Amino acid sequence: MNAVTLNRRGLLRSGAAAAVALSIPVALPARGLARNGDALTAYLRIAQDGAITLITPATEMGQGTHTAHAMLVADELGVPLSAIRTIRVGQPSEPMRRPPGEQSTGGSTGTRAWVARLRTAAAQAREVLTEAAARRMNVPVAELKCQDGAIVHAASDRSIPIGSLVREAALLPLPEKPALRPAGELRIVGRPTPRLDIPAKVTGRAVFGMDVKVPGMLYACARLAPVYRAELDGFDRASLDRIDGIVDVVPLPRGVAVVAENSWAAIRGAEAIAIRFKPTPHDTLDSAALSQRMIAALDQETRAIAKNEGDVEAVLRNAAKTVEAVYEVPYLAHACMETDNATAQVTAEGVTVWAPTQHQDWALAEAARAAGVDPSKVTIHTTLLGGGFGRRYASEVVGQAVTVAKAVGRPVKLFWRREDEFAQGYYRPAQVARMRAALDADGRLIGFWFRAAGPSTVAEFRPNAIQPNGLDPQQVASVADSRYRFGAFRADWVRVDGPPRNWIWRSVGASQNGFFLESFLDEVAHAAGQDPYRFRRELLAHDARALKVLDTAAEKAGWGSPLPAGRARGIAYMESYGSLCAEVAEVSVGADGVRVHRVVVALDCGDIVNPDAVEAQLMGGVTQGLSAMLGEAITLKNGAAEQRNFDTYPILRIDRAPKVEAHVIRSGQGWGGVGEPGVPPIAPAVANAIFAATGRRIRRLPLTAEGLGV
Amino acid sequence: MIALTVNGRAHRLDADPEMPLLWALRDLLDLTGTKYGCGIAACGACTVHIDGVATRACVTPLSAAAGRAVVTIEGLDPDGRHPVQRAWVELQVPQCGYCQSGQIMQAAALLREHPKPTDAEIDAAMAGNLCRCATYERIRAAIHRAAELA
Repeated sequence: MNAVTLNRRGLLRSGAAAAVALSIPVALPARGLARNGDALTAYLRIAQDGAITLITPATEMGQGTHTAHAMLVADELGVPLSAIRTIRVGQPSEPMRRPPGEQSTGGSTGTRAWVARLRTAAAQAREVLTEAAARRMNVPVAELKCQDGAIVHAASDRSIPIGSLVREAALLPLPEKPALRPAGELRIVGRPTPRLDIPAKVTGRAVFGMDVKVPGMLYACARLAPVYRAELDGFDRASLDRIDGIVDVVPLPRGVAVVAENSWAAIRGAEAIAIRFKPTPHDTLDSAALSQRMIAALDQETRAIAKNEGDVEAVLRNAAKTVEAVYEVPYLAHACMETDNATAQVTAEGVTVWAPTQHQDWALAEAARAAGVDPSKVTIHTTLLGGGFGRRYASEVVGQAVTVAKAVGRPVKLFWRREDEFAQGYYRPAQVARMRAALDADGRLIGFWFRAAGPSTVAEFRPNAIQPNGLDPQQVASVADSRYRFGAFRADWVRVDGPPRNWIWRSVGASQNGFFLESFLDEVAHAAGQDPYRFRRELLAHDARALKVLDTAAEKAGWGSPLPAGRARGIAYMESYGSLCAEVAEVSVGADGVRVHRVVVALDCGDIVNPDAVEAQLMGGVTQGLSAMLGEAITLKNGAAEQRNFDTYPILRIDRAPKVEAHVIRSGQGWGGVGEPGVPPIAPAVANAIFAATGRRIRRLPLTAEGLGV
Repeated sequence: MIALTVNGRAHRLDADPEMPLLWALRDLLDLTGTKYGCGIAACGACTVHIDGVATRACVTPLSAAAGRAVVTIEGLDPDGRHPVQRAWVELQVPQCGYCQSGQIMQAAALLREHPKPTDAEIDAAMAGNLCRCATYERIRAAIHRAAELA
């Protein structure tokens, strides 16, 4: 797509609207400058009073992305952060596109994917504003600077606020390659900056999906099949006759929605309704049987080979010493504090949806499908999200809300009870791994075979990500592409399907592969008679960037220095989402279970926008990963989840939260992610510390199931 | 009709006396700052004050709140400048923010009882308030900070 043409079209549009504002589109990845009437996916608009509206493509779910975007724009443009008055998530860009597009926020890309694009758009704005000022002042552009919201001519002590230049600037062609400010001119980016979304989050004013109200709206509560994938067989409407406020019951593919005048009546109805589901082939399946299937699959042949360098089987046969172990992790739920929900209004004109979504295009496509309308008739308003972590890529609830709104002819907010949120799948899949290492006579690693088995993460989430050989890249992520030099190296996977729907969960495949690989390497280091930190250094000796990350964590944690009696350290390193991360955990194991006292994190994410938000994300990632390790598991009994609420799915509480000390390395070597890379190293760092403290090797999670609970 | 006072205003609600206070606040009074998280008093997202005591609104029937004074996050301070709220902003506590109304209400009740709480007192008072973003370290620091601001 030709950016210049579209820029001119954009300017013509501004001009036709009497040039009341300067609108600058933000370039979108691969697809150029998509547009949808007034609702470009991303743009910034400067009004005549200097107020700036930033329409961002990214969802705000607590990672601070919107603030980072505002910081980038304000700094590049030369205005104070307070000039960014409004930040909204844009509409999906090209609803007519087939297949649907990818306006989404995940993969730790919320900031890094947009740094250059936002700065470029802001620089374009700055250059046309400067040009307009040069003409008005009759001075060369080179003598002007844009700072503090005005174009300044220092030599003559004159300045013009940018808002009053908007009319003229909107008539100028946008420069295709504007000059970005040198690092030395940046005043906001790179400095700890208070998040713009926080004030509303301490007063109750912040609007999450659950808080949306539309005039005339009804409330609908879903009641879904407890057994995974069981279809609705039938229900008895009369079973709700004694509940006041029930308006209707609408069938859904896997259950019903009870529609009522208020949430409470809807919930009571969902709990009370007499409902039947069709049998499934897995009505008697439990976790132990699925686990046995996965373990058995470790011995199968597979075509799903990610890496096969050297003859690892021969190296293992001829090694001076070999180490072998099998590891296992359970299904995990996202357990977002806000349960799934969407609000929909269906009229003759079109469909409007308010949703806490991480994927606007999928939400739009699902709304269009459910309403039976063309995608161009759908508008998606993205609310704040009460947690994302990958869960809210799912758009099923949007389809449910639209189905019900259409059926009852009124706007509807449809929500899930906590019980369905836990029971309905969208899990990080369970998985097993068998690893084999070969050591030579000097204790050097000369061969490594990583074999995983279990359900696929992406088979339903994004089927076309399955490779032609059947490999789901997530099942070997951060292992097959590791910087470690293992010698002969094979990484492969055997697919074993299970009933739950699998999904992406903060750090995705790396969430289990960190535990597998980094715990096992610890075993290998001990088998080789080496210090686990030094052993990893040897495997990374060729890579200065990785060594710096590993060394930073070890040094800051005081690796090797004495600890109080009963405490021990464990170390782990893993690269994910473009960032290198090492963690050292300081742990004690007592009568009251495992205590994690301190976690030192070293992260090289290339560069950063808001250091305070980066620290918060590392604290959250480490602690959420620790939570999963300590006590989280979804287990199956009779084809359904045994955990239905926080009383049986224990997420970590304040009394077990460790002190997290973050050290960020700004290597300048490309932008890496921040939200996810802190997760994978924590479980192995803690497990390795438990081994150091007790001599007990943890090969299965969660710890509560191993008698080491909290 | 159920009479109760919410954030200093008297209300008479024509509602099922068994309706949990949470849904009355959210659906009938448009006070959506109090959140649904679990429905069984296991997460703390719905914490409000009833006659000054931190209470889980999701398991408190309207009948139990009748005639009493309810304070929600919207009414904690007329300007949103309660020491806990100021400390929460200063230390940049919230991430997604969904649980934070409950965290703040719980912390405000704690500080009323223990103006200078120890870490152990913070653990005891706050362990029923879950945060999936795991902002706990900042919550702890912000409670200590709020104790200084008060």
